[in-house]
Amino acid sequence: MSASGSAPLMPVTLSKDGPDRLIIEWSDGHRGVYTWQHLRANCPCAGCRDLREKPPDPFRILKPEELVPLAPVRMPPVGHYAYKIVWSDGHDSGIYTLEHLRSLCQCPQCNAEVRMQNAE
Amino acid sequence: MQPPGGPSQKLALPHIQNIVAVASGKGGVGKSTVAANLALALARTSPRVGLLDADIYGPSVPIMMGVREVVDQATTPFPLERYGLKLMSMGFLVPPAQAVIWRGPMVHRAITQFLTDINWGPLDYLVIDLPPGTGDAQLTLTQTAPLSGAVIVTTPQDVALIDARKGLEMFRQVRVPVLGIIENMSGFQGEDGKRINIFGHGGGQKLANEAGVPFLGEIPIDPRVAECGDQGEPIVHKYPDSVVGKAYQALAATVIEQLRRSGKTPELPEVQL
Repeated sequence: MSASGSAPLMPVTLSKDGPDRLIIEWSDGHRGVYTWQHLRANCPCAGCRDLREKPPDPFRILKPEELVPLAPVRMPPVGHYAYKIVWSDGHDSGIYTLEHLRSLCQCPQCNAEVRMQNAE
Repeated sequence: MQPPGGPSQKLALPHIQNIVAVASGKGGVGKSTVAANLALALARTSPRVGLLDADIYGPSVPIMMGVREVVDQATTPFPLERYGLKLMSMGFLVPPAQAVIWRGPMVHRAITQFLTDINWGPLDYLVIDLPPGTGDAQLTLTQTAPLSGAVIVTTPQDVALIDARKGLEMFRQVRVPVLGIIENMSGFQGEDGKRINIFGHGGGQKLANEAGVPFLGEIPIDPRVAECGDQGEPIVHKYPDSVVGKAYQALAATVIEQLRRSGKTPELPEVQL
């Protein structure tokens, strides 16, 4: 963001919607909907990205912290450009830029756009 | 990895009004010289200015400010004070000949400690001399410090502009206001009044136009800049009425105006979980 540029897309409010969802009201009027499961499944940290690229290991032994239902514990801002999600299993290395968060939106409109893009 | 519920990464530094990062994608364009002299020029408008040397691997502030020995903290508290500036640098802790061979987390911790554990006191401006590139030091600062803005230093030639663009883009991605571009080593004027563009001219303005950010000004070449840096008394302090000294003072006025126009970057909203 330059001193003389136009305002970039920003979140206006973040709020929980029940135990399973996050709602982000964006500055362009869009209402973003996210399940915590979806956010964790798309964690941008290097470790999670590496895991997603590998085939699942059927012999992996789960850690005790993975046996309890996963929940977000905190979601502090990182600078002016991202959020970090601290999870109940201790995982906290994912830094979700605002652009990445917007791209993960699961509202009906965004889901339809993703389906169209995948179909092309 | 922090335990759940641990402290937030973001630092609150309410006693520091403006934090200005001096950056460039490229090494050797004169960031440290610009940072030191800009800080001194700002100090001519305010008595409360600090200079933080965030180049952990190659700190330049000590030699530029005439601090040639490791500081004994038992007798000399931090921050040091020179020429009206408050100073902090890894170079005060490590002998000049000793290499600091650290990975990112150690760099992160050192820079964070420089911000939080040093008793800066109330400051109107804290100028941060960044190392070249777009790595750990830059990430630490943009993630944790309430930066008011960044100035990008370049020299006129294309090889410098390539990396200056990367530095500028980095600040855009992390949403730190770019206050503008400074073209350093911008031509040399001989005693006969003839200007020689040793490294070309106009690259900084070209980059500013291309990126849509302000062009903050040119700093001409003067052999006394390097002499003063090596002797530990920056040119703004030793020769304030020189062409370069006046250029830095004009630069400081422009930076102050850009800070005023830029305003405070709004904080991201938080969510209670």
